[in-house]
Order: sequence, then C-alpha cells, then structure tokens
Amino acid sequence: MILTVTLNPTLDKFYWVDHLPLSLERAEEEILIRARKSSASAGGKGINVSIFLACMGVETVAMGFLAGHTGQIILRDLLEKGVTANFVWIEGENRTNVTIIEKGKEYHPVKIHEEGPRIPSHAQEIFLRKYRRTLKRAEYVVLAGAIPPGIPDTVYKELAREAKEAGVRVVVHAGRRPLWEAVKAGPFFVKPDVREELMVGDMPVRTEEEIIAAGRRALDHGCQACLISHHVTGDVLITPEGIWEYEAKVPLTKFKNLVGADDALVGGVLYRLAQGDRLPDAVRFGMAAAVASAEVEPKMCLSPAVIEHEMRAVEVQFKEGL
Amino acid sequence: MKARDLMRRDLTSVEPDTLIYEVVYLMEQSGLSTLPVVDEEGRLVGIITEHDLIHAALPEYFDMLHSISFLPNLNQIQRRLKEMAFRPVSEYMKEVISVHLDDEDLHIADLLIRKRLKQIPVVDGEGHLVGVIRRIDILSRLIR
Repeated sequence: MILTVTLNPTLDKFYWVDHLPLSLERAEEEILIRARKSSASAGGKGINVSIFLACMGVETVAMGFLAGHTGQIILRDLLEKGVTANFVWIEGENRTNVTIIEKGKEYHPVKIHEEGPRIPSHAQEIFLRKYRRTLKRAEYVVLAGAIPPGIPDTVYKELAREAKEAGVRVVVHAGRRPLWEAVKAGPFFVKPDVREELMVGDMPVRTEEEIIAAGRRALDHGCQACLISHHVTGDVLITPEGIWEYEAKVPLTKFKNLVGADDALVGGVLYRLAQGDRLPDAVRFGMAAAVASAEVEPKMCLSPAVIEHEMRAVEVQFKEGL
Repeated sequence: MKARDLMRRDLTSVEPDTLIYEVVYLMEQSGLSTLPVVDEEGRLVGIITEHDLIHAALPEYFDMLHSISFLPNLNQIQRRLKEMAFRPVSEYMKEVISVHLDDEDLHIADLLIRKRLKQIPVVDGEGHLVGVIRRIDILSRLIR
C-alpha cells in the first residue's frame, strides 16, 4: 500500500477561457469573463499522486485534514476514484485553488491559491496517531505539497523520521524549507518543487551544474535519489549510482494543462517501483506520465496505454557515475 | 455483488479512548452519524452512533415512557451529556457488527435490515477496518 499525506488539500477549479483581459484600465466598470469550460476535482500534491495510483490499480490511502463543504466534495471525489480516505476533520473550510487557462497561452496559466484552514494542535495529535497506525501497512509514504497555517515547516522531517523508523520508504514532493528540512531525515526519494523559486535549500538550481550540486548535497544527507526539473521537459536524476538526464522530445505547443503533471510524474515513478522496476526506468515512465498529463485538459492522464505510448518521446542518457 | 465492490473506502473512525465530546465534534464536522471504533492496529473493536449517545443521555425511566414529550425540558439530557463529555467512547460503544470484503450483498442487506443499522463496517481477514457500507449504497445500486 502507498500512503500519501496532503496536509493542505484543495478543491482544484479550472476555467478555460478564450480571452483573459487582466487589466482593469478600461472604460467598462467591470470585466466579465465567460468560461468556455470548467471543472473541479480533489487536489493537493499527495491527493493527486493517490488518484493517479488508484487509477493504475495500486492500493493507496490518502491522509490529511478535511474541513467544511469543500472537504465533503474532496472526500466524495477521492472515494469515487477508488482512493481510501483516512482524514482528520477540522472546523473551517478547505481551500480552493483556481487555475485560469487562456486559449493559446496554455503554457502560462493564471493561478490563485488560497492559504487553507489553520490546523489546531489537537487535530495534529489525532493525525499523528492515525499516521503511525497507517504506516504499519505501508510500503511507501509520500509527503507532499504546501504546509497549512498552524503546522511548522519541520513537519515533513518529523513524519519522514517516523516512517523510516517504521521501515517505510519516504518520498518527499514539496518545496522550499519543508523540503529541505525533510531532506535532513534522509528520505528515499525527493522531488523538489521549484515552481516558485529555483532553489533547493540554499542552493540555486538554474543550471545543470547547480542541479547536480544540489542533488549531491541531498545525497550527503542520506537521500537515496533526487529528481530535479531542469526545464519543462527535462529532468535530472541524481543517485549514488550515477546521474541520468531525461528529455521529453515534445513541442511545448502540444501542452494543454501543466497543473498536475509533476504529481503524475511522482505517481508514475511509484507505480513502476511498486511493480519492481529500477529507479531510472521508473523515472522514465514517470516522465512519460507527466508529458501525457500536460497534453490533456484534465489534470492528469490516467491511461496506462497512452503513457506507455508517450515513453517513446522520453530520451534517457546516463551521464556519469558519482 | 461483494462488500469490496459496494463499500466506501472511508476510514473516518475513533479510538476506544476518544472522549465523547470529540466524537460529537467529529460527527458534526464529517456529517457521519455512525463511527467505527478501531484499536492501535486499526482493527475494528466497536461502533458508536448518534442513537447510542442520545439513548445514553436519556433518563433511565425513558424506556417506560417511549417519548421525551413527557419531560418538562431538555435540561436533564443536557446535564447528562455534559457528564458524558469527558468519558471515553469505550463506555458507550456497541458490540462489533461487521462484514468481510468477500461477503455477498444479500447477507449485508439482511444485517442492515435485521439489526436496524444505517451503515456497517467492512474488515479484512485480520479484522482491520477497510471501509463502510451505508444503506444508501445498496439502495442506489439496486435502483440503477
């Protein structure tokens, strides 16, 4: 079973519009934008990974905090998609993240992310008890996404330590300080989220050399593998066995929705690891899942056949041993 | 159809030492009127329902009256509920009635009707809670 932790779940709302006038400096008093199409689904990095895995037939349990009407919608969507839900209910309302995708500018969507509800300390204690209990049945745990108000940035480090002590492999899919703190616990695999700033810990990751240096630093802390995006269609995998470069030969103009592609990548890697693949091969499948997801309007491509087909576009190069 | 095909994979639950005020809070926030009770290993050890809590809060002579319209007000029930608030759920939970992943729909429907349950927990071979089946889950399947 693969356990995912999403401390700050979201209802992801997408609007597809023909034109998005963002300036209010017009004669009209207001701007009315009509959506050509819209959709809403359960989200947050860990939840997306769980949805991907459940659709591939892998047993997965999603954990975190749910609140209010939005929490009910998130739960319903997860259950309908075959994800086992083990959440702590709190007062308030889960966040809604809005993405507006303009025709012809799919590569540059406009995003509005809410902060999410504050997590009271007694709810954190209940979560920890449930987490320890669920770890007993897990092979992997994925610690993913933003940290909600009320929870310290060191939370992933603590959760990673608990999982390691329980003999569970830890995957961290997050950004900024929560990621780097978790790296110090020596997780199995890290996928830094570098969307907001091109940094991993205090190290820039703008160039290939910088990416490799940051990856090596993560390995020094006991990580077994670090996968960092070089650019939209290129990733670098750094492990003690060596460095692999992945390049998806796909024109950016084919992309329709980039939200969720990163989560499909992590889901794809775990799906193949659970089937017994070596990590470099699993990452190639993950890259194909990410590319296939970016090429469809829904958040993720959930068709194994389409992902398999997309693997032809992913080139892998073993760069060097460390 | 088997339990595994009918169940909601929702593991919302409490532990035997969860306090009654926490149970009420969870029922209010989650919208669930029945909660499974699990031990530290995640094994099902009981269930607690809104009905159990209401019944426990009613005066002992209620069974003879059959209606709370005989009470002058709700003060007595409120006082009793406040006394219960910091007691553990283990003092009020019911015996375990559950089904297994491979149990058939007819058996599940029979239990729900005969035991007058709104939902029934589903357990795996080792007794771990793996889901729940509500009456509506069976009704909606049958009406399709």
